Amino acid sequence: MPLLSGLFYSFFKSLVGKDVVVELKNDLSICGTLHSVDQYLNIKLTDISVTDPEKYPHMLSVKNCFIRGSVVRYVQLPADEVDTQLLQDAARKEALQQKQ
Amino acid sequence: MFRFQSLDEDCTLEKEEGLVEEEDEIDQFNDDTFGDGAIDDDWQEEHKRLAELEERKNEGLGGLGLGGLGMGGMGGGDASTVQLPPPASRVPHPSSLPPPHHSLSSMPPPGLEDRGGGDLAESLAMLILGADPAIASVGGPTGPGDRSTGLPPPPSMPQQHQLPPHQQLTPSGLPPGPLHPSLLSYQQHQHLLRRGGPPMQQMNSHNIWENNMGFGPVSVTPGLVTQMEDSPLMSIIKEVGLPNRPPPVMSEDGRDLSERAPPPRSSSPVIGSPPVRAVPIGTPPKQPMSHAMNHHQQIHHPTTVHVRAPVHHQHRYPPSFPERISPNTLLNMANSPLCRPPFPAGVGPVLSQIQRAQMLNSQVAGFPRGCQGPPLLPGGGGFRPFFGQPPPHRMGPHHNHVPCPIIRHNTTHLHPQHRRMLTQRMQSRGGERGGRVGDWRSRDPYSNLMTQREKEWVAKIQMMQLQSTDPYLDDYYYQNYFEKMEKRQERDRDGVRKEHTTKLITPQVAKLEHTYRPVQFAGSLGKLTVSSVNNPRKMIDTVVTSRTDDEEKREKQVWNKRRQILYTVEKMYSLLLEVQDFEKRFMQTPEEQREALLEQHKTHTLQLYASLREKEWDDRVSDEQCLLIMSVRKGKRLISRLIPFLPPLQAAAVVMGIARNLPALAKKDKQDQALCWLVEPVAVVISSLSSAALTDLLQELQGSEGQLSKVLQNKFGVTLLYLILSEGERMQSSDLNCQLMDDNRWTELVFSVTRELLNVPPSSLSPPLFTPPNLLSLFSRYVDRQRLELLQEKLQISSLSR
Repeated sequence: MPLLSGLFYSFFKSLVGKDVVVELKNDLSICGTLHSVDQYLNIKLTDISVTDPEKYPHMLSVKNCFIRGSVVRYVQLPADEVDTQLLQDAARKEALQQKQ
Repeated sequence: MFRFQSLDEDCTLEKEEGLVEEEDEIDQFNDDTFGDGAIDDDWQEEHKRLAELEERKNEGLGGLGLGGLGMGGMGGGDASTVQLPPPASRVPHPSSLPPPHHSLSSMPPPGLEDRGGGDLAESLAMLILGADPAIASVGGPTGPGDRSTGLPPPPSMPQQHQLPPHQQLTPSGLPPGPLHPSLLSYQQHQHLLRRGGPPMQQMNSHNIWENNMGFGPVSVTPGLVTQMEDSPLMSIIKEVGLPNRPPPVMSEDGRDLSERAPPPRSSSPVIGSPPVRAVPIGTPPKQPMSHAMNHHQQIHHPTTVHVRAPVHHQHRYPPSFPERISPNTLLNMANSPLCRPPFPAGVGPVLSQIQRAQMLNSQVAGFPRGCQGPPLLPGGGGFRPFFGQPPPHRMGPHHNHVPCPIIRHNTTHLHPQHRRMLTQRMQSRGGERGGRVGDWRSRDPYSNLMTQREKEWVAKIQMMQLQSTDPYLDDYYYQNYFEKMEKRQERDRDGVRKEHTTKLITPQVAKLEHTYRPVQFAGSLGKLTVSSVNNPRKMIDTVVTSRTDDEEKREKQVWNKRRQILYTVEKMYSLLLEVQDFEKRFMQTPEEQREALLEQHKTHTLQLYASLREKEWDDRVSDEQCLLIMSVRKGKRLISRLIPFLPPLQAAAVVMGIARNLPALAKKDKQDQALCWLVEPVAVVISSLSSAALTDLLQELQGSEGQLSKVLQNKFGVTLLYLILSEGERMQSSDLNCQLMDDNRWTELVFSVTRELLNVPPSSLSPPLFTPPNLLSLFSRYVDRQRLELLQEKLQISSLSR
């Protein structure tokens, strides 16, 4: 049930519209606006730019991209868009749920 | 053998055999022979009708022989035997044109020689390349200069069979415009090929094609399907159910799967390969045949086909077209025929998804055409085209206003606050983008490939898995985040509106030079993720520290204790969260259960306090426990959130405990300064204290020797002190019957405070979080003028802040 990992999905949903940098497992880093996310944590970014364009010139013309969730290594977020206390509470709740 | 044919191999060969065998069999699982879902039509008649149409069309077209363009796809001799009944004899002659990509194969398949070049080739050529000036005037996005790159480069060929046709385009793009036949790409060949074949043969090709359209993560098992009653899934069942009916049912909506003939096979069956479903699970919905050509499209088609279970169709999906033609091709070539309805009324058009898409595209691109294309789908609030395509309400070349490429989010399920934020953001950005509209968007060949319904269907399938009974619980973070934001915004509405854009500052990380450089192909994206024991990806810089046994033991003890405290804190947190959410749940539970819930709530609250208080004393907080909990940052946070939920007496007890132990707490808090979180809830408690309690509190604060000085060193301590004094002053000045002065305690206490304040060196006096305005008036009651001035200076209490 994908909802068991709902915490991250819920969290990323609240970041839709914000700028993030996604670092992939193949070392590619993509900066863009988070357009949408799904329960597999697949990510769609708009207005992307590769943080190191010289290495990856393929991406010069790409404006939007879809990233499969399983290839993401990191997602760098704007700190002020995250409510850490709420996040902690959500994590606690999820832990409780899983225990039950 | 062309490798791209293996795509066909997988799917169509079995299909082929199936065709032979299963005519008699009824596919128990999927077919309806009678009843709601059965096809009633005579496939032969339909087939005839369709063939006639083809004839008529082909007659009208003159001729470029398009020769063996599609022949590669036909494969070898096998194809000729099964796949191409008479109509296919009109498949273009292989030799009439130099097939461009035959350079990729050794030789054209032998069977192709048999076909007459003939009518079909010409008609198709006319259809596609067209003598229509409108087509000729259409330039491709890449311009004529790209003709040299019309061929897909050889390395990409092997991939082609795995990708759906229109995705096989190379980055260089397809040859645009009116084409030299030699430049027609593989997809075009396929298109021609398919056109030649009977629809029956194509029954499965579209399946494969569609299946390969990257319908990736969604898989619907048959078992699952039967349980669900949702219409998108039902449509899958419906489609799955159709495989073995060769006849193309053309005149009705129900003939969705009639065109799903497998592409022609050219090789012997692979023994042991899995049986292929005629309509693989997860195939996107088909589109109704009448859909594209009817200028007033109705998305909802009532009739269904081959569904065992009763189906309630909310959406009808247009039939997919089996042809594998590239969108670019169609855009450039097929506009004219697409423009006018090629078929007489009563016969459904054979319009592929792509063609329809192209029509929509070309309208968007501003084609000089008189006719109005079919109205774009009156989509619901569902998923708009994501990449590039402007919103569907734009129509026709007459539409001069070109809107910005607004990126639309699927906002139906968003919290209203979130939606508001997003629309605001998009509006502010929409202005920037207005200028950029230009060329790139007018010719996006990949847009409109999916109808609105299809997109919604895809989205729906995904969203279905997210439906939850208790959104508040499952989606806790999201819901609460935006509720908080709403509250915050309401509060800030009167204040200054902060318009801040969140810009992510990308950290500039210096790349470490690893001795191992991962393998990277030229021109590839990123690096191969190959890590082995010898070449691990460095994640953390671990430093080896060696410790003695004693130290380790001590550290372990410390950590164990800490862990214990953390554990306690977490347990309390879960209680706290329950208490916190009580109100919300209370509103949601029905009347009968409210009593129980209330009881539960009370119990929780009691439990919370019970973990804090002294064993026997109800009104006093256990110092030890309090200290323990507050020694951890988390614990302080917990207490600060806990206090508002406690009944006033117990809250007061907690505050007393804090005051009592402040020095110890302050010592531990030197680094974090986390005590300051407590200010707010404590302030609330203080303002509700009685005068006696207030006095007690002040006393606690000064309790032991030297306590006050330590208190003054801590920011929170100073703030707390001020709060108390301020409250006392407020009591005195506002309430005439104030009992504060009844005994001398208060006065004495204040005296001692002022003494201390005056004596303490300024360096060890911590600035408070805020200074209440009425302190000066308080002090003025108790000290003389000189000292007052001193105090004023020291504490920086301005006389204006009354």
